[in-house]
Amino acid sequence: MNVVIETSNIHKIYNETKVPVHALNGVDLKIEKGEFTAIVGPSGSGKSTLLNIIGGLDRPTEGQVEVGGQDISKLNDNQLIDFRKDNIGFVFQAYNLIPVLTAKENVEFVMLLQKRSKKDRDKRVKELMEAVGLGDRMDNRPAELSGGQQQRVAVARALASKPTFVLADEPTANLDSKSTKDLLDIMVRLNKEENITFVFSTHDQRVMDRARRIITIDDGKIVSDKHID
Amino acid sequence: MIPILAWRNVWRSRTRSLVVMGAVAIGIWALLFLLSFSQGMIQSYIKTSIETQTSHIQIHNKDFQRDKEVKFVIDNSAELIKNLAKNDQIKQATMRSLANGMASTAKGARGISIKGINPVEEAKVTQLDTKIIDGKYLSDKGRNPIIIGKVLAEKLKLKVRKNLILTFRDGQGESIKAAFKVVGIYSMGNSKLDQAFVYVRNSDLNRLLSIENQGHEIAILANEINKLDPLLADLQSDNKNDQLAIEPYYVISPQLNLFNQQMSSSTGIITAIIMLALIFGIINTMLMAVLERTKELGMLMAIGMNKFKVFGTILVETIMLSMIGAPIGLLLGWLTVLLTSQTGIDLSTYQQGLDQFGMSGGIVYPSLTPDTYITIVSSVFFTAILAAIYPALKAIRLKPVDALRKV
Repeated sequence: MNVVIETSNIHKIYNETKVPVHALNGVDLKIEKGEFTAIVGPSGSGKSTLLNIIGGLDRPTEGQVEVGGQDISKLNDNQLIDFRKDNIGFVFQAYNLIPVLTAKENVEFVMLLQKRSKKDRDKRVKELMEAVGLGDRMDNRPAELSGGQQQRVAVARALASKPTFVLADEPTANLDSKSTKDLLDIMVRLNKEENITFVFSTHDQRVMDRARRIITIDDGKIVSDKHID
Repeated sequence: MIPILAWRNVWRSRTRSLVVMGAVAIGIWALLFLLSFSQGMIQSYIKTSIETQTSHIQIHNKDFQRDKEVKFVIDNSAELIKNLAKNDQIKQATMRSLANGMASTAKGARGISIKGINPVEEAKVTQLDTKIIDGKYLSDKGRNPIIIGKVLAEKLKLKVRKNLILTFRDGQGESIKAAFKVVGIYSMGNSKLDQAFVYVRNSDLNRLLSIENQGHEIAILANEINKLDPLLADLQSDNKNDQLAIEPYYVISPQLNLFNQQMSSSTGIITAIIMLALIFGIINTMLMAVLERTKELGMLMAIGMNKFKVFGTILVETIMLSMIGAPIGLLLGWLTVLLTSQTGIDLSTYQQGLDQFGMSGGIVYPSLTPDTYITIVSSVFFTAILAAIYPALKAIRLKPVDALRKV
């Protein structure tokens, strides 16, 4: 068993001193290498909070988060930034590409932060852009791409750093059916062929249909955890 | 990647960036013009002062410097002036006899300083002959001729060919009264000088003071104003028994330094005000840029861009934004200074006020030294760095999780 993410008794309370809001109430979770997991639940259930905490973007009020065996709840801000750079790939709902950079430069960006060689970067960018079916759109800026294409670039960017896992926060929320299908096809293929771990938060039935594990969260607790064969 | 990202971000909001660049260019242009104008005024003031009052160097008997008494003449002054004529660093030297006294007519009396001059040599040092606005300059002809300033003539209601009584004391303290005939009226372009000084032949004044072939003051015009120090050292080395006070114009007339300092202070204050205005303009623009890009900055920090690099990107972007306008401002400023230094700026409308101030000619020729351009560019550079700090701090204080939620 190769556990990638492990959380123990995670609590997250907002506005602790005023009107406390308990977003997570003791979440225990293990995600293994190569899983294709969807975290689902109604709005306000705590799924985005959980994603932010396991992505090192937020800290739990209580509890422990281990990613690849390292307790990230003890890292300071700068250590967390470095940790995210090397271990976590992010795909956001609104794509969040850098508008002034081309698709190629967006994918290359995180590798520059990792100080990887130009040869290495060029090779990886080419591989990833071809993997997401955008080998011919490398020099286009985000504004020149469709929503689906932008999200595929975002997937390529998330994978560029060779992360331990990819976190995708409602990645299909802004996409039409065709783009959603194309994106899911790509992610499923990368998951199967390259054993990349994907963790999604989603409302989208189409994503849930392709997931191999569905964790349902409500009122800050995991209410069901189904593995689909 | 930081410079590329910063450069492209500069052009993200083209109009806004162009406004800042325009403000920087105009600020630099205005500053260059202002500095060159004030530099031109300083030079004009110093030039007027050297031409009409101090020359480059003056030599006095040290005792005369202290007591201003007629008896303290320069020893061996005739020989000294001959030696000075041989010095190749000196363009011209002239000896003067000095006395303070009273000028009176039937219409009134005024305290004045009498300068006994060698008309030919004096003209070569101070161009006094060119300042005559009525009558003629002093010559060998006639008995006790005198030239007086325009203001004194007005106060005493004197005209050319009228007589004037000068009263003063000789070397023994005896009161002397002598009649002089006004042959000319001069205007130095400085109302104080035009009232204070009257010029007579030194032969006439020396005879009355009983100091034949001697003088109180030697005025020296050097070949180059920038090489006064070696000349002063040279002259000082000949002053073996240290009886002479050998002083450059800025010691003789400390108000020149004061004026220079005042102008420097006021231009410094204006420079600071312009830079302050630029700082706020740049901060405003960069703050808007940071606030507009909150989500993007959150994303950059989420995917691993550390705070140092985020700070650096904002800093480089601010410096680029500020420095793009700088060459345009420098070019405009340089062209303006080049043009106005040839044509001059005519201030003759304000000549009366400038006369009071001690500036003649009415035309200011702006000028700037190359280091001023470097100073201004450096000022803009440091202004940009200062202006970047607040927006950059604002950016690195963002928490990715909050920033990513911004719409």
